Amino acid sequence: MKFFTSFRKKSPWILHYNAGSCNGCDIEILAALGPKFDLERFGVINTGNPKQSDIFLVTGPVTYRSRERLVELYSQIPEPKVVIAVGSCTTTGGVFRGMYNVEDGIDQYIPVDVYVPGCASTPQLIIDAIVKALEILENKSKEIEKPFKLFGSVETIGNKLSRLNMAKRVKHD
Amino acid sequence: MKKTIQIPLGSQHISLLEPIRFKFECENEKIIGVDADVGFVHRGVELACTRSFEFKQVGYVVARVCGLCAITHSLSYTLAAEKLLGYEANDRIKYLRMLMVELDRIHSHMLCLAHTAENAGFEALFMQIMADRELVMDLQEAISGNRVQFDFIAIGGVNRDLTPELTALIHKNLTLLSEKIDALIGLFNNNWSLSLKYKGVGVLRLEDAYTYNALGPLARAAGLATDVRVETSDFPYEDIGYTMILESTGDIHARNFVRLREIVNSIAMCRNIADNLPAGEILEKTKGKPKGEAVVRVEAPRGELFYLVRGNGGNMLERVRIKTPTFSGIPAMMEVFKSSEYADAPAILASFDPCMSCTAK
Repeated sequence: MKFFTSFRKKSPWILHYNAGSCNGCDIEILAALGPKFDLERFGVINTGNPKQSDIFLVTGPVTYRSRERLVELYSQIPEPKVVIAVGSCTTTGGVFRGMYNVEDGIDQYIPVDVYVPGCASTPQLIIDAIVKALEILENKSKEIEKPFKLFGSVETIGNKLSRLNMAKRVKHD
Repeated sequence: MKKTIQIPLGSQHISLLEPIRFKFECENEKIIGVDADVGFVHRGVELACTRSFEFKQVGYVVARVCGLCAITHSLSYTLAAEKLLGYEANDRIKYLRMLMVELDRIHSHMLCLAHTAENAGFEALFMQIMADRELVMDLQEAISGNRVQFDFIAIGGVNRDLTPELTALIHKNLTLLSEKIDALIGLFNNNWSLSLKYKGVGVLRLEDAYTYNALGPLARAAGLATDVRVETSDFPYEDIGYTMILESTGDIHARNFVRLREIVNSIAMCRNIADNLPAGEILEKTKGKPKGEAVVRVEAPRGELFYLVRGNGGNMLERVRIKTPTFSGIPAMMEVFKSSEYADAPAILASFDPCMSCTAK
C-alpha cells in the first residue's frame, strides 16, 4: 500500500475541463504545462481520463449544457480528489455573471478546494494553485487512509445502540 | 453487407481544448459521415451586450467571447461603435491597433501549430513551439499589461502607448522569434515523419473551399484568395508590407505552411509598425451616443470576423450580432473529415484551429 501511496504523491494527474470559458485560461494552462513555466516538474501530466486523474482543473462559468458533464466528470474521479477553479468566471461567474445561459461559478455544483482569480489567470497563479492543491491532496489521502477498527472496541451495548440511533426502538420493545 | 460503427469524440477529450462533440460514422478506419454539436459553451453574450452593459463597456465584454482572438473581437466592436459615433481614429491609433492584432495572430498561429503537432503525436515539437511562443507572450504582456485578455483597445483609441524601451524589446524578441520560425519552416519542410502525418492528410479541395465558404488559413491553404485585410480599407495594411499567403494542396501541411508564412509576414509587419509609428494622441474623447447601424469585418487569426451593431441613440445598444470564422467554417470542416482515417481526426481537427467559444458565444 505504501508503495502506491508514495508514487501517487509524486504524480497527481490533471483533468482539464472547459465549462464555457473564453479559452483564455485554457491556453494559459497549456502555457503553464509548457517548457517556460514547466508545471510538469511537479509530476503533473494532463490526462483525458477522469478515472486516472487526481486534480480537476475547471475553467469557465458553468453553462447550461456543460453542467451535467461537469458533475459526471467530477463523480468519475476517484477519491481523493482536488478541484481547482481557474479564472474569475469560474469562481464567481465574472463578466458572464447573470447571463441567461450561465450558472455563476462551479461551486454551485461541485465542491471547490482552490480558487484562482484573474481574467485570464496567469501561469504563475495556476502553478501556485497546483502547489496548494498538492498539499490538500496529501491531507485528503492521509484522512482516507487513517486506520480504523471495524470490531472489537470496548463499548457497552447501550452506547452502541445510541450511536447507531436505535436506542429508542429498543426501549419501546 | 457493410456495417458502420459510430465513434463519438468529445465533449471532453484529451485532444480538445474546448467542448465540442463529433459523432463519426466509420467504415473500418474510414470516416464516412460526421455530425458536429457545437453549442456547449453558449453563454448568451450577444443578449447581455444589449441588456446589462452600456455601449462603452461592451468592448471589454465581447473580448471575453474568445480568449485567443480577444483583440479582434474588441477591435471589431470598437470600429463599429466608432462608425456610429462618427469618429475616425488617427494614424498612431491605427498602427498601435494593427501591432497588437498582428502579435495576437502570431501567438494564435503558433498555438495552433503546437496543438496540431501534439494531436498528431509529436509531443517534443509541441513543447518546442510553446517555448518559442513565450517570446510573443512576453511582448504582449510588456505592451498591454496582460498575457491573454489585453483590454488594449478602447473606444477612441488604445489604452497604452509604445515607449522606446518597448520598441527595442519588440525588435529583440521578434529577431529571436524569426530565427526560430525559420528553423521550424525547415523542419516542417524536410522532416520525414512529420510529412507522414501532415502531407496529403485532411485535404480540402479548392472547389469545396469555395462551395462550403471556407475562411482564413483554411481557405488560403486550398488556394482560395480571401483575406479581409485587403478587402476592407479600415487599416493601411498595404503600407506596412502585407502580402497574401497562398498554398495549393489544401492538406494539413499546407495549412501549417500558411500559418508559418503568415507568422513571418506578421513579424515583418510588426517591425515596420514599430519603426514607422506616426506621432499623435493615443486616446481621444468621443462625443455622443451610437445611433444607426454599422457592419464591420476584421480578419481574425481564423478568418473573417463579422460584427453588426445597431444603436438607437441611447446608452444601451439595440443589437450586437457576432458571426465568427469557425462558425462559417464548420461545413468545410465536416467535408474534410469525410473519407479520411479515424486516427487522423484529432490532428485534422486541430489543424482547423477551431474556436468553440467563438462559435457558441
